[in-house]
Amino acid sequence: MENELKIDPKLVAEFFKFNKNMIEAPKMVPAPDEINLEMTPYDVAYSEDKIRLLHFNSPTQKQYQTPLVIVYALVNRYHILDIQPHKSWVRNLLNQGYDVYMIDWGTPSNIDKYLGFDDYVNGYIDNCVDFVCNEASVNKVSMQGYCTGGTLATVYAALHPNKIKNLIATAPVIDGKRDTTVVGNLAKHMDVDNMVETIGNMPPEFMYYVFSVLKPFEQGIEKYINFFRNIDDKNYVDSFLRVEKWLNDTPPVPGELFRQWIKGIYQDNLLIQNKMYVGGKLVSLKNITMPIFTQVAVGDHLVSPECSMPLHYAVGSEDKTLRIYPTGHVGMIASSFSQKNVLPELGEWLKERSNK
Amino acid sequence: MVAQSDYKKSVEYYKHLSLFWTDIVYLMASKPSALTSAGPMRKFAMQAKKLSTEMIEANEDLTEFNTRLAEYYKQLSDTWIEAQKRVNKKIPEIPQDMEHLEASKRVWIDMFENDFTQLFDSEKFGENFGKLISSELELSKHWNKMLSVLLETANIPTRNDMDEIYKELHSLRKRISKLEKNGHQTKVKNNGK
Repeated sequence: MENELKIDPKLVAEFFKFNKNMIEAPKMVPAPDEINLEMTPYDVAYSEDKIRLLHFNSPTQKQYQTPLVIVYALVNRYHILDIQPHKSWVRNLLNQGYDVYMIDWGTPSNIDKYLGFDDYVNGYIDNCVDFVCNEASVNKVSMQGYCTGGTLATVYAALHPNKIKNLIATAPVIDGKRDTTVVGNLAKHMDVDNMVETIGNMPPEFMYYVFSVLKPFEQGIEKYINFFRNIDDKNYVDSFLRVEKWLNDTPPVPGELFRQWIKGIYQDNLLIQNKMYVGGKLVSLKNITMPIFTQVAVGDHLVSPECSMPLHYAVGSEDKTLRIYPTGHVGMIASSFSQKNVLPELGEWLKERSNK
Repeated sequence: MVAQSDYKKSVEYYKHLSLFWTDIVYLMASKPSALTSAGPMRKFAMQAKKLSTEMIEANEDLTEFNTRLAEYYKQLSDTWIEAQKRVNKKIPEIPQDMEHLEASKRVWIDMFENDFTQLFDSEKFGENFGKLISSELELSKHWNKMLSVLLETANIPTRNDMDEIYKELHSLRKRISKLEKNGHQTKVKNNGK
């Protein structure tokens, strides 16, 4: 009996419990398809081609006259900024008295393959800003851009500084050469001309592949193990399924925009060197002279802090703030941490710089 | 190297052979069959050699694709083996009971995550990844060209035809938007006067 296998009975019990959870999961939780990601009610204030400008209905009295326009990223959809009531970026800002608009880029199809930076920045964003200014009877708006939306907002602010009162760049993609993430490495080795010429728009499946190599074991295995282990925890399950559904819903990126993005930001690194041209105009970050708040996350594995932070040093603004948070790319915008730390700080910063 | 050059030679030979016969058959049969120019078969016969050329060239690109794919999986498997070795060394130090289950899992995840992230961040992975995607794109191009041949025989717009339309539409949308903006600005200016 000396060779008898010694296994902790608690381990066996845990194994059986895990199996039981897997079998019972479908009875206990909804399928991701059955979950509706729309949270805070909104009106579609303006639309053009496939984009929509969402105007969120505020539960409280508007306290500031300067509206905030959020430029969402080109990857995945805007729902992450309003993923759950107690983790909603949008709802938090509404509760602080801000008038919040957000651009939903919609789902580009083949007909949109020639849309580039010029169409997005000088077309869609500019038209949305004009609409908001007109509706709110103001000359300038505050603008926040998240991730790739941070880059678009930055380019917009550099080309149209007279329309932006405050700029908030949340994990913006700015200095591709300094980016230390896997995304940066893959982007630098892509024959992007060949890619766009052959397949047109960047298919969502390709994006999924790029995400899958970011944290393959934590994101590909561990989080699913944790999901089944916590199947009894309603809040955990709800949060998990919402984020999973959001992660697995990304629209294609217009081919021309993808080409300009990869070449201009990652391969030739033109934006940070003030050498990028959009719509025939040079994008100089020195033109950004309005107050700017740059938010980066230490644990960001999608856009590394080294890639975002150079914006803070490159702009012409005198009133500039840089905050580095001990969280990740999504944690910075949709978590309890963000509600307790990131948003109150942003609210305070914006309060001092918005018209009452 | 010798095997590779023999392979290339034989591919070239079959390419030539195929083109020779499709051309000769076309020259011999083209005049009388011109009568059928209203139907799809003549168009198809005229384009048939494009199909064989594309097939042969796709075969060459398939070889490159397979080489890159094999390298891709080799890199993954080499990294897996190395990570597993490191885990195997570390795990016996951790007691195998319920209290330490989380620690064992953490060691496994962290070591694999670390090794694989290093791989994905490396120059050799990026380079092979880039070439793998490029070879996949070459295959797509052959496929597109072959499909175009078939579409042309049925008088259906090809990808190139559609691209021309998309480009034209994009330029028209831009012009309209500019005109609308200018019109609006003029209106605002006039109202202000």
